[in-house]
Amino acid sequence: MNKNISLSVILPIKSSKAKDFGVFFEKAIASLHNQQEQCDELVIVHTNEESLVSFLDAYDFKSLNVVKKVWNEEPNYCSQMNYGVEQSTSEWVSFFEFDDEYSNIWFKNFKKYLEVYPEVSTFLPVVVDVDNKEVFAGFTNEATFAANFAQEMGYLTNEVLQDYQNFQTSGIILKKDVFILTGGFKPSIKLTFGYEFLLRLSYNSPSIMTIPKLGYKHTNLREGSIFWNYKFGDNKITEDEVKFWLQTAKKEYFFTTDRKIKYEIQTS
Amino acid sequence: MNDIKTKIETSLTNLKEKKSRIYFVVQDTKGNARASVKFIYDIAMALKDDGFNSIILHEKKEYTGVESWLDESYMSKLPHQAIEGENLNISPEDFIVLPEIYGFIMEQIKDLPCGKIVLTQSYSYILDTLQPGQTWSSFGFFKCITTSEKQKEYVETFMKKISYDIITPVISAAFTKPKLPPMPIIAMHTRDQTDTINIVKQFYLKYPQFRWFTFRDMRGLSENEFANSLKNCFLSVWIDDASGFGTYPLESMSCGVPVIGKIPDLIPEWMDEKNGIWVQDKLKIVDYIAEFVQNWLEDSVKPELYDDIEVTAQKYNNFENFKTNVIEKFSGYLNNRINAFEDQLKKI
Repeated sequence: MNKNISLSVILPIKSSKAKDFGVFFEKAIASLHNQQEQCDELVIVHTNEESLVSFLDAYDFKSLNVVKKVWNEEPNYCSQMNYGVEQSTSEWVSFFEFDDEYSNIWFKNFKKYLEVYPEVSTFLPVVVDVDNKEVFAGFTNEATFAANFAQEMGYLTNEVLQDYQNFQTSGIILKKDVFILTGGFKPSIKLTFGYEFLLRLSYNSPSIMTIPKLGYKHTNLREGSIFWNYKFGDNKITEDEVKFWLQTAKKEYFFTTDRKIKYEIQTS
Repeated sequence: MNDIKTKIETSLTNLKEKKSRIYFVVQDTKGNARASVKFIYDIAMALKDDGFNSIILHEKKEYTGVESWLDESYMSKLPHQAIEGENLNISPEDFIVLPEIYGFIMEQIKDLPCGKIVLTQSYSYILDTLQPGQTWSSFGFFKCITTSEKQKEYVETFMKKISYDIITPVISAAFTKPKLPPMPIIAMHTRDQTDTINIVKQFYLKYPQFRWFTFRDMRGLSENEFANSLKNCFLSVWIDDASGFGTYPLESMSCGVPVIGKIPDLIPEWMDEKNGIWVQDKLKIVDYIAEFVQNWLEDSVKPELYDDIEVTAQKYNNFENFKTNVIEKFSGYLNNRINAFEDQLKKI
């Protein structure tokens, strides 16, 4: 099927030096080609790292409509994603990562559910989490369907998020203007930036729905990834800091602007 | 002699004018939905709509009725009478249609001069209330209405000297394809509730990754609640070894919901290898559910399955066909009585 839907996929990339970058990237792009409904464009927001620029220039994206935007400032997932959304030209945007894959039915199901749930402004996929060896680790975003969990089956509410954080924004499809009006991601928030965004989104816009279909494959803790670095890398964060960012998310979601939060070690 | 002649002529007039009473005995389900009772009401209603004098007969004066789970019109349009404490006027031109579960009533009414018809929906109940050696014919029941050719073939192997007619149940108009996509909910309908409990528990233990799927026991719902619940489901599970017809899977199919079912002892005539996932081994049902769940999540359930269930369901949701069949059968019964009375009249 070669029917485009008004959807831009935003793909921020920091570096091509990540382990197995080429392999991951190839699979990620293939997952876009394999969609049963095609998106309008792929917006890649990449740093000016020489090897990455060369890689992207040489890459054959075939039929995909690719828009490459250089990010000249300090690499940051949230800032690059915000910029990509701003630069996109579709009504809807979806967040992608080079080490992940969309399932071939995700855009088709987005279109199908949008037709019958026109009031919904954010659709979450059921995410299949895998480890580096592609071994199944679990599902994410599925909990909206669990018995006695959400007030209305399938819908994610702010109330639910207060008690349960295991939701993610990877693969999400939401209205571009909703993302912008909500304030986008907050680059100063570490670790819980996705959670804080969902809290804010649900606080401002009540219609967030999980589509009960496998929509996205997410590689957990890939070596060199943001969350791997938080856990194992040079930027490893302590348990106290984890708690701090969790509490911060719950405090900050009332504000649509990034208040430049910093973690400071408390000394008595 | 003249008195008898007058009575026969009166009976003939009542039969010809469709005034003869057709009593349908029903169980009081105490407000619980039951397909077998709905089937009786559907027959009575089809006849009433065509000018027949159908009457619902319940055992006790205190009758809960069916408006809470079926429809108010079934209560208001059809006259209801209690057997207990009321003097039933039963004339020779009248008919009593008695479900097979009321074997004990057969003996009580064996001397009534009316037409007597046994209605068999579930072959497994036939012998429950009969003493060893007793048959329907020994109580003056020579006519049986049943729901399928298969059931007829089976029942006539041991209930002999009976003529059989088939009235296939119709699936209610409440069971239609939903407008919204289904939720990750599995509808459960098992004769024995422990089957439902065991499947749910085993499924969650064996496939913990699918704990977010909900099982819904379909007991105790009104027809509309039942239909609306089914429409939310992406899969139905059905276990009923003693099923006589298999209304539930057809209701599921009418809602576009595929069924995983254990093949009953009497294989329904609508069942084929394409219109469902039919299994012999009850213990494997959880594995079939898990496989179906995975396929559903990936949108890889074969589209042909949905096509086939739709084709099957369409054969059983035409109320006009059902009504035509009912009227044809009962007109035949009335005509037979007319012929019998006219023969008697000639002999006088």
